[in-house]
Amino acid sequence: MLGDRLPNLDYSRLVAASKKIEPALERPVLKLALLSDAATQQFVPVLRTLLDANGFSTDVYEGGFDAIELEVYDSSSKLYSFDPDAVILLNAAQALRASFSKRQNSATDFVSESLARITAIWNAIQSRSRTVVIQSTFALPLERYFGNYDLKVAECLSSVTCALNSGIAAAARQQNGVLINDVEGVASLVGRSRFFDDRFWDMWKTFCSLDVLPAVAQNIVDVLMATRGRGVKCVVLDLDNTLWGGVIGDDGLDGIRLNAHGDGEAWYRLQLFLRELRRRGILLAVCSKNEERNALLPFESHPEMVLRREDITVFVANWNDKAENIRTIREILNIGFDSMVFLDDNPFERSLVRDLVPGVIVPELPEDPSDYVRFLSELNLFETAAFSGEDVRRADMYKQEADRRAAAASFASVEEFLQSLDMRIVVSRFDSYHLPRIAQLLQRSNQFNLTTQRLSEVECERLMNDATVVPLYVKLSDRLGDHGLISVVILQPNLEELRITDWLMSCRVLTRGVEQYIMNEVFAIAQQQGLTTVTGRYIPTAKNGMVRDFFAQFGFAQIAEKDGETQWALRTDSYRPSRVFIKPLEKETAPAIL
Amino acid sequence: MSDVHTRLSTIFRDVFDDESLVLRDDLTAEDVENWDSLTHINLIVAIEKEFRIRFTTAEVSRLKNVGELEALVAAKVKQ
Repeated sequence: MLGDRLPNLDYSRLVAASKKIEPALERPVLKLALLSDAATQQFVPVLRTLLDANGFSTDVYEGGFDAIELEVYDSSSKLYSFDPDAVILLNAAQALRASFSKRQNSATDFVSESLARITAIWNAIQSRSRTVVIQSTFALPLERYFGNYDLKVAECLSSVTCALNSGIAAAARQQNGVLINDVEGVASLVGRSRFFDDRFWDMWKTFCSLDVLPAVAQNIVDVLMATRGRGVKCVVLDLDNTLWGGVIGDDGLDGIRLNAHGDGEAWYRLQLFLRELRRRGILLAVCSKNEERNALLPFESHPEMVLRREDITVFVANWNDKAENIRTIREILNIGFDSMVFLDDNPFERSLVRDLVPGVIVPELPEDPSDYVRFLSELNLFETAAFSGEDVRRADMYKQEADRRAAAASFASVEEFLQSLDMRIVVSRFDSYHLPRIAQLLQRSNQFNLTTQRLSEVECERLMNDATVVPLYVKLSDRLGDHGLISVVILQPNLEELRITDWLMSCRVLTRGVEQYIMNEVFAIAQQQGLTTVTGRYIPTAKNGMVRDFFAQFGFAQIAEKDGETQWALRTDSYRPSRVFIKPLEKETAPAIL
Repeated sequence: MSDVHTRLSTIFRDVFDDESLVLRDDLTAEDVENWDSLTHINLIVAIEKEFRIRFTTAEVSRLKNVGELEALVAAKVKQ
């Protein structure tokens, strides 16, 4: 995933390295199909080396030269029997130029015809296989028939290429499973005059100079790695001289450099960049050697500060070593080290983290903070294969969880902490609105599940309509967030007893007193209905060992045991209600429990 | 042995991954295993980079053997 810097992407070195790749059986294999209207042989060794560096073996299928359609429309073609993980479509600007020169109609028609041809290829592939399609964009041409006036004229190659690229982008936005390999992005990054070397096209039909071919290949690898879930989830930030100029503890709020115009603009720009990443769903964490009070000061009171405290998912400012703090951050966020990037201006801290926390990506930040954003952009660290509203919300969800843990850490007792959460609960009879989630929980809960009866939605509906049964769902929220529907309990009155036939709960809400609250409710129901005993069953499975002693902890007596399955009973008047820190949610209509 | 010859030998050995390769003037693509169109490009690119020269399309396609290549490189380096 790591976009190497361009100078390191030397074609000859990469080709030589490809010959030295050791076959390793245990490594995952990526099967790539290269389809192009240009020659692709030069890409193969380079892709192999770059993917090897990412821990993948590569199996490549090269389609025939300029035979994209022949391959994709033939269900029995080698392309489909190869069964690739990704089809890489490389369309050459030179081939576009050739077909443009043969156009019969207007440039507008030419663009829509070319676009239709490309999207038809995507559809052909997707209707015949489940592979990812990676479509290239077209590098803008060097030649300008009208000079600067080119873009004012629709009938020229520059305008056509621009239009086609935006058409490809717009179409790909609408189509799942189609990703973009922005070749034009690479060309403009390195410079078009360097990108093209038409000697290679004339002699070997290679669409770019071999000097920049590795950059195109790296771009493809970045996309491939994103499809494999390799990607940065969190940026861990140093503060002093990284997020602002100067040292907050020494220079104070007025002394640090940070502003939209002036000597603090470099850091301001970095913060803007980071805020966009945060908006995209990348988590930000702070790891600073500072008094926490000082470290927080700019976030709370500096007028030009872009990032605010709420943008930071985990905020660690102390005097511990940074490796230790990064491990703590990782634990709180529960993400992999290899999905974390650590930014620090101090070479000592960088090398410490690199040595002690393998996996964490530690870029060698340039000396001049003005180069930070450019440098990070060129590394292409934040490639992704998908983006949704869920990504944006994820940062908030992590923040809630981190706050919860932080809160737990600073309270004198668990009781005090639970009290501070201001938990609100709803215990209610099944209703049709909640049936899908109820059924889902019944299907999925494994650990906290006493009898593991996989009731379907239809069976849940039958229970809902059966007045002799008490089928309950439970929802929980607290001041830090909403947990949603987290538990299902089904009760069946039978003669003198109230039977607990099902009880399951999401493990996310363990140790908060939820089960104690529900048990209090169960006995309240038994009492109201004049039932003398509450009984329950535990059926062991491979996964529900955690609730083996569930009934015992509430004072139930075991009355039967067979093959590990146990039955329990407790007289209604012997039950001692547990102390809980959860209150019923008042706003919602009073639950019609009975 | 000329400087050009020594440097060319290193490039050939790297590209063909063959430390025992000896450059003779009459050596052609047919004599060397793996000297196909792909490695030919790699060779040209490596030579251009090493000597900071640029071949024209015509020059690349006219070359008959290593002797001609060496002479061409020597001429270009002098320019």
